[in-house]
Amino acid sequence: MSSVFYQKFERHAHGEGLKGLSTHYCPGCGHGLVHKFLAEAIDELGVQDRTVAISPVGCAVFMYYYLDVGNSQAAHGRAPAVALGHKVANPRSIVISYQGDGDLAAIGLAEIIQAAQMGLPMTFVFINNAIYGMTGGQMAPTTLMGQRTTTTPDGRGRLMGQPLRMAETIGQMDGPMYVERVALFDNKQRTRAKKAILKALRLQVENRGLGFVEVLAECPTHLHMTPLETEEWVRDEMVPMFPLGVKKDLDIEPWFDLGTPSFEPDRVSSVIGGGTEAPERFGTRFPTHIHLEDVAIKFAGAGGDGAQTIALLTTRTAINEGYDSTYIPSYGPESRGGTSYADVHIAAGDVLSPACPEPHILVAFNAPSIDKFGPTVQPGGAVLYDSTVISTPPSLDPSIRVYGVPFTQIATDLGKRMVKNVVALGALRAASDLFPRESFLGAMRETLQKDCAMLELNEEAFTWGERSLGEMTSPASG
Amino acid sequence: MVTSNVKKVKPKPFLFPHLCKACGRCIDACPKHCIVFGTEIDPATGFTPVTVDLEVCNGCGLCITACPEPHGLLATPPELEGTDMVVSDPFTYFGERAQTRPAPAAIPDQLVPLPALQPMVVKGNHAAAIGALLAGCRHFFGYPITPSTEGAELMARLLPKLDGVFVQAVSETATVNMMYGCSGAGLRCMTFTSSPGFSLMLEGISYMVGSHIPGVFVNVMRGGPGLGNIAPEQSDIKLVCRGLGHGNTHAIVLAPSTPQEMLDLSMTAFDLAFRYRNPVIIVGDGYLGQMTGRVTLPDHLVRPGLPDWAVYGDADHRGNVITSIDLNEPDLEERNERLNAKYDRMTQHEQRADPFHCDDAEWIIVACNTPARMAKGAVRALRERGVKAGLFRPVTLWPFPIDALTPIMARAKGTVVVEAGPGQLEDELRLALSHAGLVPRGPLAHVRRLGGILPSLQHIVDTVHALAEAHHE
Repeated sequence: MSSVFYQKFERHAHGEGLKGLSTHYCPGCGHGLVHKFLAEAIDELGVQDRTVAISPVGCAVFMYYYLDVGNSQAAHGRAPAVALGHKVANPRSIVISYQGDGDLAAIGLAEIIQAAQMGLPMTFVFINNAIYGMTGGQMAPTTLMGQRTTTTPDGRGRLMGQPLRMAETIGQMDGPMYVERVALFDNKQRTRAKKAILKALRLQVENRGLGFVEVLAECPTHLHMTPLETEEWVRDEMVPMFPLGVKKDLDIEPWFDLGTPSFEPDRVSSVIGGGTEAPERFGTRFPTHIHLEDVAIKFAGAGGDGAQTIALLTTRTAINEGYDSTYIPSYGPESRGGTSYADVHIAAGDVLSPACPEPHILVAFNAPSIDKFGPTVQPGGAVLYDSTVISTPPSLDPSIRVYGVPFTQIATDLGKRMVKNVVALGALRAASDLFPRESFLGAMRETLQKDCAMLELNEEAFTWGERSLGEMTSPASG
Repeated sequence: MVTSNVKKVKPKPFLFPHLCKACGRCIDACPKHCIVFGTEIDPATGFTPVTVDLEVCNGCGLCITACPEPHGLLATPPELEGTDMVVSDPFTYFGERAQTRPAPAAIPDQLVPLPALQPMVVKGNHAAAIGALLAGCRHFFGYPITPSTEGAELMARLLPKLDGVFVQAVSETATVNMMYGCSGAGLRCMTFTSSPGFSLMLEGISYMVGSHIPGVFVNVMRGGPGLGNIAPEQSDIKLVCRGLGHGNTHAIVLAPSTPQEMLDLSMTAFDLAFRYRNPVIIVGDGYLGQMTGRVTLPDHLVRPGLPDWAVYGDADHRGNVITSIDLNEPDLEERNERLNAKYDRMTQHEQRADPFHCDDAEWIIVACNTPARMAKGAVRALRERGVKAGLFRPVTLWPFPIDALTPIMARAKGTVVVEAGPGQLEDELRLALSHAGLVPRGPLAHVRRLGGILPSLQHIVDTVHALAEAHHE
């Protein structure tokens, strides 16, 4: 007996009596043979210590009673996902995902297809016995047409769909390296099955690729036949539907190499973007001329206007100045085009609600935005809008200062229409005196540090935005 | 590696009749017809074992290959050649080689100092991802879903730079099972998801709880039921506190309310998940996930060790198994008792709350996540108007921090639960009160919005104010 089997099955009925030495499988069941071939292959390749076997749901749920390897028992259909988790956790481990036909070809189709196409070197063993064993003889996805089961009492008909040929399905995919269908019904088939399982495991041990072996197995209990009759049934009835043989066999070089995860503090700090230099502060006071402790600004436009970027820049500026600040976009389908709104709060203490239903300042890039949010601006607040796009702003509360600035025109004159948002930010600074010019430029530099050319252009755009406000201020409502 | 020149020896088979299930595969396999069905029923098994006549056996071994039982037909060891193996006792023969191997020592986690880093300006989802990286998570499995996706996207960008692994799964169902595998190997892994995706993960979470497997889930809650919308709601509180899949399940549920807490609690979550060998759920809301704010970084990161129970795929951990099935009822009851004991420990040690102006409060507002921010503002506004209000913010929704709330409520004239949901936080409060044998003093009122609308500060102020006024009259 292979030493990959436990000498005593202590997990089977606590190892008591004969159960401690025999499997829970019915006489003539194919599972026992496949377990044995697996154990012998693990033994032959010398990988017992590194092996993790995934037990499925189905009759093989207790595979972990028998194989003396690392064992993990998966939910129904999910063995390939569990296997993948184990494999990427420890790429040196040898992971065997073992499933029956209900598990792999019905409830778990998505998982096996993903894992197979990914092609990580793992070993998949698929037991196809054309019936559900553990639940007591119901139709499997591989049940033959006309075959009687407890859920196809008159034989499998068209409304139950047709049997799935998994080896062919997996075999035509790009991910796997080796796919074969074997059987157990005579000496020759058993020898082939043994070899196929060994090969599928070896490909993993050599780090070369994914092996998938479908085994036509016997379930005498639910086919209501003797074990030997079942062998004949598999040979005569199943094989014509599920032809034996190699479906795919590539010869490729080892490819699978995952590095060892790094926990090196400097590397981690740099990857998460943690800076060690404190940003320079320029402001001397909270912008109490706008609000004593909590300034609310709304940026609104269409997707692509850049409202989100300058909202983030404003928040970054405020935080660099030592205040609490939040920025929240309206998001989702809207942010993939259509409208794009962003709310910014700057608080002397903590920001409370991050939303701005009644902003102090509105920056609007198009007519729908100013129409929608203009009326929500607080009395005494300010509205800046793109006068290139908006020809007639709505009339608002007379206490609100309204600035029309040709964001788009200025940006176009600068040669890059997309910097119109930075023009707007410059205009916002000039109109609100929120924070000093230098602190906005500092935040911009932080954000664009890797792109000097863009930085220069953006600084220019910001400056033009500030200046143009001075030249063109025209409180619309007097 | 074992090279088999054993094949040349051609040993003959032997069989313990007790261990033969009489399938007859060996009969069919033997070209020399040495094996036949027996005639005597073995009283120990009820089977009729085959009988083996080795007279003409040439040791081809085909019967051994054909036998499905590990202890069935075996090759006779050379030293026993010639003995009458058929009548031997299998219990003596197979001896007492134990399957259980000595458990390896757990490799402890290490705290590694970080250079002094400046505060970052990041959104809540990113903050939680950064927290996970600092907590030593190097494996991410997930399926994109708004409004949580930025967390996954950041992990996809950063993990390869740390030689970690990012896998976009075929579904949330696959996601949670990949986590089951990776956590089962003893490693720190996580996912980001949002309500509909979280629903799909519940089955897997039940398996993780049943198998004592850690794992961190960030559920950035959105509007439901069904496809709902992508605006912030708090309608998964029922699920995370009472409905983590089938069976007797619980997990510590952390409810951050700022991007800073998204980072801090993400680190805490990994610590708790491994301390208790249980999943930990972080529930945010859509606002919190999307909100950008100031985040201060810790002064250390975690270099995770490897727990003793891991199925890592090496010699030390070969004896371990991860499973949640116990066919034997007393075994399953014992597993559940062990879970219950764990839930008790969590309830005793892990209640967390953040009270704000609760010391002298007459009116207690209970709120978590983003609505707690509005509630905080409401407390200030109410105090300016002379109403002694306080905010009790549960940071753990399960276990509910009833111990901290009890003395606060004992002084209160009334309580208002504020939530962006249909009353699931209030249900948790009511259950906790009931279990603690407490009856709230005064009215237990609420401010609720649904559909992704958050309760406004004014709405809260008005509600509490009206209660206070009514109390005076």
